[in-house]
Amino acid sequence: MTIGWVTSPVFGEVSVGEKLFALKVKPLFAQKCMACHGDDPKKIKGDLDMRTRASLLLGGETYEDEVLIPGKGEKSFLYILATRVEEDMEMPPKEADKLTKEQTWSIRDWINEGAPWPDEERVAHIQKKYAEGEQVVTSKALSDDWQKRRYETKKLWAYRPLKVEKVPEGEHPVDWFVNRKLKEAGLVPASDASSRELYRRLSFGLTGLPPDPAQAIKFEREFTKSKTALSEHAEKLMAIPHYGEHFARHWLDVARYADSAGFANDYTRPNAWRYRDYVVRAFNEDKPYNQFVKEQVAGDEMEPANPEHLVATGFLRMGPWEQTGMSVFKETRQLWLDDVTDSVGQTFLAHAMQCAKCHDHKFDPVPTRDYYGMMAVFSTTQFAERKAPFLPSESKEGFATFSKLMQSKVSTYEKQKKELQQKINRLKKEETGNAKVGDNGLDPGDEASQSRISKNLVRHRLELDRSQPITHSVYTGKTVAMKNVQGRLNMPRDPWSKGYFDPDVIFTGGDVYSHGEAVVPVALSAAESLGNMKARPFPAGKGKRRLALANWIADGKNPLTARVMVNRIWSWHFGRGIAGNPNNFGGTGELPTHPALLDYLADWFMKNGWSVKKLNALILSSETYRRSSRHPAPEILEEKDPKGILYASFRPRRLVAEEIRDAMLFVSGELNPKVGGIPARPDVNLEVAFQPRQIMGGTASVYEPDPLPKQRNRRTIYAEKLRGLRDPFLETFNQPGPDASCELRQTSTVAPQALTLLNAEEVHDRALAFAARLLKERKKEPAVIGRAFELALGRSASPDEVTVCVERWKLATETEKEKTPTPKTYSKKIKRTVMAEKTGEPYDFWEFLPAYETYQPDLQRSEVDARTRGLAHVCLVLFNLNEFSYLD
Amino acid sequence: MNPLAQNHVAHLTRREALYGLSGGLGSLAFSSMLRAERVPGVNHPAKAKRCIFLMMEGGPSHIDTFDPKPELTKRHLQKFKRSGERESAMSSGQRYFVKSPFDFIKAGKCGADVSAEWHHLKNHVDDMCFYRGCQVESVNHPTACYHVNTGNRFGGDPAVGAWVTYGLGTLNDNLPGFVVLPRTSYPQGGASNWSNGFLPADYQGTPLRPEGSPILDLHTPTGMTRKDQRKNLDLLATLNREHLNLRPENGELDARMSSYELAYRMQMEVPGILDLKGETEKTKEAYGIGDSKTDSFGRKCLLARRLVEKGVRFVQAYAGSWDSHDYIERAHGSLIRSVDKPIAAMLSDLKERGLLEDTLVVWCGEFGRTPDNGLRGGVSYGRDHNAKAMTMWFAGGGTKAGHTIGATDEIGAEAVECVHHIRDVHVTWLNLLGLDDNQLTYYHAGRHKQLSQFGGKVIQELIA
Repeated sequence: MTIGWVTSPVFGEVSVGEKLFALKVKPLFAQKCMACHGDDPKKIKGDLDMRTRASLLLGGETYEDEVLIPGKGEKSFLYILATRVEEDMEMPPKEADKLTKEQTWSIRDWINEGAPWPDEERVAHIQKKYAEGEQVVTSKALSDDWQKRRYETKKLWAYRPLKVEKVPEGEHPVDWFVNRKLKEAGLVPASDASSRELYRRLSFGLTGLPPDPAQAIKFEREFTKSKTALSEHAEKLMAIPHYGEHFARHWLDVARYADSAGFANDYTRPNAWRYRDYVVRAFNEDKPYNQFVKEQVAGDEMEPANPEHLVATGFLRMGPWEQTGMSVFKETRQLWLDDVTDSVGQTFLAHAMQCAKCHDHKFDPVPTRDYYGMMAVFSTTQFAERKAPFLPSESKEGFATFSKLMQSKVSTYEKQKKELQQKINRLKKEETGNAKVGDNGLDPGDEASQSRISKNLVRHRLELDRSQPITHSVYTGKTVAMKNVQGRLNMPRDPWSKGYFDPDVIFTGGDVYSHGEAVVPVALSAAESLGNMKARPFPAGKGKRRLALANWIADGKNPLTARVMVNRIWSWHFGRGIAGNPNNFGGTGELPTHPALLDYLADWFMKNGWSVKKLNALILSSETYRRSSRHPAPEILEEKDPKGILYASFRPRRLVAEEIRDAMLFVSGELNPKVGGIPARPDVNLEVAFQPRQIMGGTASVYEPDPLPKQRNRRTIYAEKLRGLRDPFLETFNQPGPDASCELRQTSTVAPQALTLLNAEEVHDRALAFAARLLKERKKEPAVIGRAFELALGRSASPDEVTVCVERWKLATETEKEKTPTPKTYSKKIKRTVMAEKTGEPYDFWEFLPAYETYQPDLQRSEVDARTRGLAHVCLVLFNLNEFSYLD
Repeated sequence: MNPLAQNHVAHLTRREALYGLSGGLGSLAFSSMLRAERVPGVNHPAKAKRCIFLMMEGGPSHIDTFDPKPELTKRHLQKFKRSGERESAMSSGQRYFVKSPFDFIKAGKCGADVSAEWHHLKNHVDDMCFYRGCQVESVNHPTACYHVNTGNRFGGDPAVGAWVTYGLGTLNDNLPGFVVLPRTSYPQGGASNWSNGFLPADYQGTPLRPEGSPILDLHTPTGMTRKDQRKNLDLLATLNREHLNLRPENGELDARMSSYELAYRMQMEVPGILDLKGETEKTKEAYGIGDSKTDSFGRKCLLARRLVEKGVRFVQAYAGSWDSHDYIERAHGSLIRSVDKPIAAMLSDLKERGLLEDTLVVWCGEFGRTPDNGLRGGVSYGRDHNAKAMTMWFAGGGTKAGHTIGATDEIGAEAVECVHHIRDVHVTWLNLLGLDDNQLTYYHAGRHKQLSQFGGKVIQELIA
């Protein structure tokens, strides 16, 4: 007879209680309790030591021997507190850490079984034989318990190789998987949406713009004959550059694009726009996604002579960043390293890496070593504004005009500075060491102005770099400490001569001053082990670390990459991901609703050259995409699919901030459809534009819009995005701030949105231009209203609607006749009042606004007749309709 | 003849209800048209029901306000050397110790230390709880402001006021739950300082701007009358009705229509809240309104009292900039003057009205200041930024009145007693309002997030 573990006389029979302890209770203690009750014997909270059965029986200061009463689970406070019924004594204290019902039951049942406590060896034996869940091979963890811990199998889905099911011949894969679930749920899907609804959905979904009425009619005609018309029209829409703009907007939400650096100075990033246009081009050219990834992570290491590749690495510098005279460089550097590690993790791998910075990841198989290993990939990455000649595909329009405008701003400040300096020279008194404060004879306001002007000169001179053939990029080399960064960062001739190597170590507790064990550059070890990836060592030292990581991410065997992107694309079409958190595929993220579909699409995506356009085409050709947003039996739907995750009907959505603005410009006929180029400065709420905003050393110059309507009325993606000065219109409609990655837009309905659409000058300007356009295109009143509905809503107006609108129009014309609007006037300078730092008292100064020297307003009320103004009221109402802002 | 008459009638009935003709306004809220999320609610008995946060942006010097350092007088103009790894511009060049230009007194029954410049506030110290143990991480204004305001130095997270409103809900459906009274010039870092972050937009701080339109786009633009707008809203409702009828299951559409009705009401009501005409001359005088030195912050303090009275949950008022690198005598002197009388009046006023007991007042900056300075040309004695020491104070709301908790070292360079990271202050702050930081979480991007980022301790010493 062989002596096996099971029958070994050493171990004998395993009781239920022992099993519960080894498999459930002990791991729970380790994960949830020991941090405060035993890991550090010197710091035991509430005097409750949970390291042994004996110490647990002794209990703690509050419940003493009632903590554990063997045989009486319901009475033991160990169980009671875990159920969180005892106020202020919920254990573990953090709501986020709370135990599931099942977990509390296992504690109760274990106590009922007499709370047996087998020794370590026996626990190991039981775990080996009976354990549920699974262990994951990772790089070495900080703690042993963590290394041995088990994960619920279903939560590891994202790391496993794709499981590709076969779809029967003739079936559409999307519908095959979606309908299967619907059938299981006993749900009948909604039928196709109307062709007008569909075309509007398609147009906004692919270009972010309302449908062109002529195309909509054509679509309707063709779609009635054949459903394939949808695919043909989708191809057409994907072929126009507005497609790339719209998809770039999605991507830039994730990448956190902005034209300024944020924080104290909010310096411009004069060349960031080239990265924005790179993304637009990438989607328009349908750059294979694996290539897109590689260029952004390591373009410079791949082809340093290729400007496109240098521009792409701007991604790595998209987060807010600054180094002021007050900052400690080492900390600034660390903030960026943390930021880039986390953003690469979230963007490409759907992993919030920051959670593993101070300790091994609480929920996912990401040890702290992986965090610092991935950070080590970037420890030789340095910032530079690199030379990169403009490509023929890049727009150089407006360079001269912009430079001229900026130059005049600079000259004005220079003149002011000189005059001020002369005054100061005249008045300044010699001081001795004994001088009393304020004895220098100067007006504190003048002193404040001096610093304000100097700072704004630095800021505007930096803006002049906008038209230079340089790019917001990186290089590989040693770290050189910087003091106060106020301008362009140049490439050193030899990146390895000066500076130092950042330490590739674990910072204990996340503290940059506390060096722990050394690490080597790596990526996620769990993806390698569970995904059957070949674990390739990344180079260290002077090697191309980022290129190695880029290749690792773009590897066809990487279980995360394709899933992550496919899930994003799905979410852009359907308003929710197959996996509910596009930036987090870890155990706390929502599990995929249709894992088989996700895997199928990920595999299909890679097999089809990582082509986003092809994937779009596949998704859009499905019945699932065509479904009406209105289910025939909403009550049944609500009952069987309360979360709305089965795609029985299409999820309606509100347009996002950019779509609302673009749509108004589009229907008013004012939209300048030019693609790319230096940031546009649209009109923003004047009160916000003129409001002083503090920067280090003073007050930033006023925001000045571009002088000409065609410059201002560009698509919103081209609007200059300043971290310190958000456009209140866009912010009100839930445009996310550019500091954190946004995985998916949120929609909320708040009263300030109504105030904006009812009262904002920009909205009234659009309504007036819309009215003027309508009257140019149609003569008779019903035809005018009909055209208005076609343009604004993508459908014709009902006779009733025509009647009420014409009625309102007529009445409004009558009231407008009684008004005599005067042209708007704009001053070329404004008086501003701010606080002088030295005195804590206010002072005034004049600021000159060169953009208003040549400013041409949009169409004004004074330029049109009462009938047009009357119609503008109706147009304003159309912009405010639910139907204008909501897509079926 | 109106062909959509039937819908129109329905609409009118609705309007009557919404515009107060029947008083049925309960279902409408200023911001929250949709409450998909369950309000987490009060987790334990609250000491405070509402909060007024006086944000002294720029970093007031603890050494020249509430934390006297006689040792600095002894060392005045002696050379100072900062060492260690955390070097920056603040440690370069020749540096000197700098004494406070102000005298200090022992005020109140409790004998609290205050600089003699606080002519009015010194009479309230028995209602105040001074705390000298707080430390932050950043020495740059925007990051430190973000840290104090949102718990995250990078910004982008919800502000304390957003968390509190999320946790406690609102007491007045016609006003925002979280109101900000900014200075004319916004602080470094801008509106992210009162952002809703990842919480729904309902919890965003609504700034009531001190100049121009208090809420952006509150008024109809030039050339448009309220009557015009009324007619337009009527047409809007008529046209929306048909669309809504076909989509009864989409609650957002109905909510959006209600938001227009509320917006219409706000246009009439908000200016009234800001109008101080109803206040007596005596009250206005007490707050320093009308005196150019105190008018600006006086208005904010009076407005703060009016707002909390009307049920606003959290008011944040900004004063500053306290960033006195030079010339601290004059700069801090005039700043103290600008807030001293208004704050004192507000504390009296709250107390008289019986509100102080359950209103938590918090006064702090984003950091304190250094005991030393690089003497720039001998012009001035100022101070640089100091993340390791600061003074904050609390009043009302269950804080330990008449006490000074914690201490800094003999030169005020670093907190040495009852030292806590700002996150513990946040946890305590929530605790006073009946909220448990560990339970007040919001699931976002696959994670339960909380104000303190990853948990902290209640500073029991601060609680009465």
